[in-house]
Amino acid sequence: MIRIPPKGSPDRDRLIEEHKACIESMKGVAGCSILRCATPGDTTEISGGIHEDFQLNRVLLRMRAQPAKGKLVVVCTKIEKEWRIARCSGIRGVPPEFVSDKVYDNEQDPQHDIFLMRLDEFPETDGFPEHFHQGWKRRDDNWAAS
Amino acid sequence: MAWMRLTGYADKFGVHPGDTIRFYVNCDGPKSYDAQLVKMINGDTNPRGPGLIERKRRASLNGSYKGRRQVIHSGSYGCVEDNSQLRVQSFTLQCWVWPTTPKTHPKYWKHGAQGLVTKWHRNRGYGLFINEDGCAELRINGKKVTTGAPLRDHAWHFLAATYNAETGQAILYHEPQVVYALDPVIRPAKEKIAGPVRHDGSPAVIAGYTGAHSDDPTAQSSVPAGIIINGHYNGKIDGPRICNRALSREEIETMKLGAQRGMTERRNSGPTGALSETIVAAWDFSDGINTIVGKDHGPYLLDAQIVNCPTRAMTGHNFSGNNFDWKHAPQEYGAIHFHDDDVDDARWEVDFEWTVPANYESDSYCVKLTTDEGDEDYIPFFVVPRPGEEQAKIAVMMPTISYMAYANEHLANNAGGAELLVYRVPIMQHQNMFLAEHREYGGSIYDTHTDGSGLCLSSRLRPILSIRPQYDHFLMQAPWQYPADLHLIYWLNQLGYKYDVITDEDVNYDGLARLENYNVVITGSHPEHNSGPQLDAIHDYTQRGGRFMYMGADGFYWIHSYHPAYDHLGRGIVTEMRRCESGIRTWRADPGEYYHQSTGELGGMWRYRGRYLHSVAGTGMSSEGFDISSYYSRTPESNDPRVSWAYEGIGYDEKIGNFGLVGGGAAGTELDIVDTLLGSPPHTLITATSAGRHTEGYLLVMEDFGFNQQGLDGTQHPRVRSDIAYHETPNGGGCFAFSSIAFCGSLPWNNGDPEKNNISRLVKNVLDRFSQDGPLPPPPRSAIKHRGRADYDPPLNKKRK
Repeated sequence: MIRIPPKGSPDRDRLIEEHKACIESMKGVAGCSILRCATPGDTTEISGGIHEDFQLNRVLLRMRAQPAKGKLVVVCTKIEKEWRIARCSGIRGVPPEFVSDKVYDNEQDPQHDIFLMRLDEFPETDGFPEHFHQGWKRRDDNWAAS
Repeated sequence: MAWMRLTGYADKFGVHPGDTIRFYVNCDGPKSYDAQLVKMINGDTNPRGPGLIERKRRASLNGSYKGRRQVIHSGSYGCVEDNSQLRVQSFTLQCWVWPTTPKTHPKYWKHGAQGLVTKWHRNRGYGLFINEDGCAELRINGKKVTTGAPLRDHAWHFLAATYNAETGQAILYHEPQVVYALDPVIRPAKEKIAGPVRHDGSPAVIAGYTGAHSDDPTAQSSVPAGIIINGHYNGKIDGPRICNRALSREEIETMKLGAQRGMTERRNSGPTGALSETIVAAWDFSDGINTIVGKDHGPYLLDAQIVNCPTRAMTGHNFSGNNFDWKHAPQEYGAIHFHDDDVDDARWEVDFEWTVPANYESDSYCVKLTTDEGDEDYIPFFVVPRPGEEQAKIAVMMPTISYMAYANEHLANNAGGAELLVYRVPIMQHQNMFLAEHREYGGSIYDTHTDGSGLCLSSRLRPILSIRPQYDHFLMQAPWQYPADLHLIYWLNQLGYKYDVITDEDVNYDGLARLENYNVVITGSHPEHNSGPQLDAIHDYTQRGGRFMYMGADGFYWIHSYHPAYDHLGRGIVTEMRRCESGIRTWRADPGEYYHQSTGELGGMWRYRGRYLHSVAGTGMSSEGFDISSYYSRTPESNDPRVSWAYEGIGYDEKIGNFGLVGGGAAGTELDIVDTLLGSPPHTLITATSAGRHTEGYLLVMEDFGFNQQGLDGTQHPRVRSDIAYHETPNGGGCFAFSSIAFCGSLPWNNGDPEKNNISRLVKNVLDRFSQDGPLPPPPRSAIKHRGRADYDPPLNKKRK
């Protein structure tokens, strides 16, 4: 198991810095990965990010694997102009709800803010044995599967 | 927040000149809306591309229309109109059930009691229910009897209820099929209830109950019109029966056998003559599996109309595990799985129609709907020439079955795993937000139903909000399917090609006739879902000298069939697919449920029916990933004179397609490769490849490996790549496979200028050669030689042998 680095730790600062750099370099790409484009907005040469920072890779996997209930998503509110962050209900028929009034002017920045929010929301030991709960008996564990 | 107040659909995907296409619109709020015919050229709003391009067309449909609200009454059920036999006083109701959501969350979109076998409406009538607490419940008028024992989900239970009007005795039986060691005993619940049973004109309903009789115009799209069905049940029902007196438990046991009429000493051994006289209805859902009729084998032939196309060919309570094909053991397939979000037809009123003028130009069109208040929606369709009336030498085959498979897909909202798949946080569009709330619009074949079971049927008679321009899909933050195929339409227009548009439907129903008069047929970016007749037609075409340009990847993957019960409404109304033993599956069919209810054919991947994907156009799917795309390099085989013409104007060392509007490169999302052991013809040339350039987000498909192991991602595995491949077919034909779904997303780059876009150059070279009249120039004589599949074994393997 890989710990979510706690607030103030050098590891956490490093992950945030690398994630931010990747997101900045992905602006303009019709897609996104936590990797650095050698030329911003151009995926011809990529490096860093999840390919080279093992801890960032594993922490992101943990965050991405959460079940739908309470999961953060991005919602495009004006085509090519505005995006906001929302949270899924996990209940069929109940749409995601916005978490704040913050409006983004590009589709990549909310990815980074969601990373920061999750760093704050996730306990350091997320997914460790002490997190076992009864839901694990029935696909309601903390690792989503298709 | 109202995400979409305007939605609509047409009665056809493709319409012939001279024929009429009808449009159905929901305008929920604004008093009026405008309709305008447009030619839809490009639907991608990405600022790095050419942007939305639509061209207004004059048409009689253009104008202002009065807005009205139209709603979809989703949820499947069986229904028999009121009649005197159903108006019983004493009765017995019984059925097997396999409930999937006996108890729902209070915020669940259809939270509340679920009807099983009912003739009940507002405290009148009778019925067997699952109540809000998940327990079996008998209702007689306004009185309720329950055992208080919750039904275990995903388990077979036998339920029965009797009522003796003379004594007032009501009994409810709940008998789980499997009883675990620590399960409490469930005793029959008994109560005295005074009669009489009061009746109204409500129908008998299986898997729901009558919620309201309504004069509201929106109730007209319900079945029966004006009667709203509520309490949709999620799960399987097998062998529902209604008898007209209170049977003993022993008689109920015999009645499980159902009606067996015409009993003699030599045939049938069901209920005795005396017991048979009590039967009002004994439905047998194993009869007519490929229909939308629930056959009643009882004396009154009270066949149920099955509404909203629930899933049939489902294993019943008596499935033995010995037969897996319902055609060979129908008696084990007596269950229908009903879902509260099934929808087969929105059944809206027509708002306007358009008779396409004779000789009208074949192309991609939309009716654009707008209001003064800023609402907007588009209804796409295609004008398709009749066979023999072709308008061009080039045909674009729009993958409409694939559009239906992805119709109104909910993964970003439903599936926690979606983020792992795309390797970033999904982005939802207003269509997704609308659908997240409006489950009645139904889902895609990628979704699970609201009860979590696999969704294997999709109708096109409903607004399909994923088939829209300006719609970016969460998989790529970019267009997918229909709007992605518009990249190709834009490019063809930009370079001045004259083309016809045809659809999967046309080829499925008319076969080779739809293809043989074209010099070249071009696919969409992701023709993943195909019927057998369509693949046969493509095969016939390429073998007879036709030229085929496979513009994408993950094509020819899943087996589809159109449901014959909807043929009276048009072609290709409902398509079916089952996710069987392997393949990329967002859900997995249960044991014994691999065969289609529509045609009885085995579902799943074409690969497992011996029709390798690679055999259709030369390449087949090997991997997928959805974060970012990459580019191609030429291989030495691109210099082979058999194919070097395709690369004229492209330097050997050029990076090919390191740009684009889907993932930022031409090689991305889902990728195909050449594999001569999986059907690629042995003379296939790999002209370019993206090998070694993909991210960790790309993974080998599961059908290509037998056990889980490390090293399957794009940074490691050699099969995670896209191969641009070419091979000749007999009689001067040929196939070019571009092998990446992102590929078409590079065509509009730099406005498609072949001087500034080597993807455009490559496709132009191929299309110019493929679209010429007569057979393709023959390959050099030296290319005619015997080729074994083993010729492609790496040298190391040969050494070992």
